[in-house]
Amino acid sequence: MRRFDCSLLLLAAFATCAHGATLYMGTYHDTVIAFDEAKGQIVDTIQLSTGLPSNLRLSQDKKTLYVTTGDYSGIEVIDLATRKVTNHFVLNTPTKRIRFGASGVPDPQGKYIYTVTTEMNKLADHYEIGKPKYTVIDLAAQKITKTFDVAKEDEIAIGSGRGRASFDISLDGKYLYQFGEKVLILNADDFKVTDRMDLAKPDLPGMEDIGFGGQLDSIGQPGMHVSLFNSSDPIVHNRVFGIGRFDLNTRQMTFDPIGPAPAAMMGLQVSPDKTHAYTVVTTGTLGNKRCEFWQIDMANDRITSAREFACRSRFSFGMSGDGQKLYVYGAGFEIDVFDAATLQHEKTWDLQNDTTGGGLIVVP
Amino acid sequence: MKHIRAVNKKAQRIIDAVEDVVALQDQAPARPHIPTGCSLSFSPGWEVDSAGGTAGLCQPVERDIYDCYNSCFWPAQVPDHLNNYPDWSSKCAVATKDWRNLDLVFP
Repeated sequence: MRRFDCSLLLLAAFATCAHGATLYMGTYHDTVIAFDEAKGQIVDTIQLSTGLPSNLRLSQDKKTLYVTTGDYSGIEVIDLATRKVTNHFVLNTPTKRIRFGASGVPDPQGKYIYTVTTEMNKLADHYEIGKPKYTVIDLAAQKITKTFDVAKEDEIAIGSGRGRASFDISLDGKYLYQFGEKVLILNADDFKVTDRMDLAKPDLPGMEDIGFGGQLDSIGQPGMHVSLFNSSDPIVHNRVFGIGRFDLNTRQMTFDPIGPAPAAMMGLQVSPDKTHAYTVVTTGTLGNKRCEFWQIDMANDRITSAREFACRSRFSFGMSGDGQKLYVYGAGFEIDVFDAATLQHEKTWDLQNDTTGGGLIVVP
Repeated sequence: MKHIRAVNKKAQRIIDAVEDVVALQDQAPARPHIPTGCSLSFSPGWEVDSAGGTAGLCQPVERDIYDCYNSCFWPAQVPDHLNNYPDWSSKCAVATKDWRNLDLVFP
């Protein structure tokens, strides 16, 4: 009996000391919550002053969180060590509104944010709606310092004509990558397109997808972008899906096809040891929608297991910091936790707040 | 039964073209036209999904209410929080549980 008690104490002590990642999510109203995976509870609430968080983006060194807010097109910079807002400002004026297209990406030095914006000017008798433009936001000056036109041939490719395709950036900050109906490689200095690749992000009809997918992927390794893409041959346009691996520094990429492209797929979540990855595939729409987890062996580019689960009408997909749990969240106040090995539902966490579509940031 | 028939060549070409497209391609059924923007969607009822029905809505529907005005995911008539009612939902962190705390708005 004494041995049993000691074992229980040891287990309890181990559970208390277990270290999990911290999840950051945008929530109503005007807050970002910090959620401790190990404790299964909110450990901090960061109040924003510029509005509802619409997109969250982590810096390459994982020390800073950049939040864009929707009400007045604001930007807030959060230092993750202290969980304090260190910089915040809005881009709107009484006569000018800025609409963010893409979620944007900070440069490696944390001086600028690169994104796509649309400007709307209120004139005396009408509104003047501009075209989506590549935009450089100076965080120190707290304003837009440069805009560049989008090439005519890329207007649709960067996200349905609204510039919603997500960005990534090379470690040296020289090249930007935009992932939409094509993959564009741009010079960060002048947004000139240096290369275009005919790879498309998978379709996500009916899915929670504010930033067009990119930020939904787990990008665990700075300088690399690993994600699902669709490709089609030029003759019969047969679509196949596969894994694209981009070395953002050398601009080299590989595409390994896996199989026929499903109707809809969510972002790719790669485990920290890079042996497995997971995605959600849906068939049907609206009331007929059915969802499956797919587990992918990253060494051999093969699907190793799949399991159907009861999905919400709208949701986002994420992964725990250690890669052992899968998260389904969004459109509500809960995170459904699934075991990554068995793909079975384990538990549900109550966040006490409805979450916005800003994404889930995992900080180890 | 056809209630409309073409009376000139141009109308006949439209009918021919539409039938041809439907015959050759497995298109999704036509969806309702919904103007851009949450507050411009005057659909009957509180909320509809992108097909104009309710089968695709979240359950319970209160899960949807915030994304109807923040990201405009579904078309719905909700208060305009950008211009006129910025605090209409500020007392309600979880719409599913606390929907009684949403402000009533009388435009």
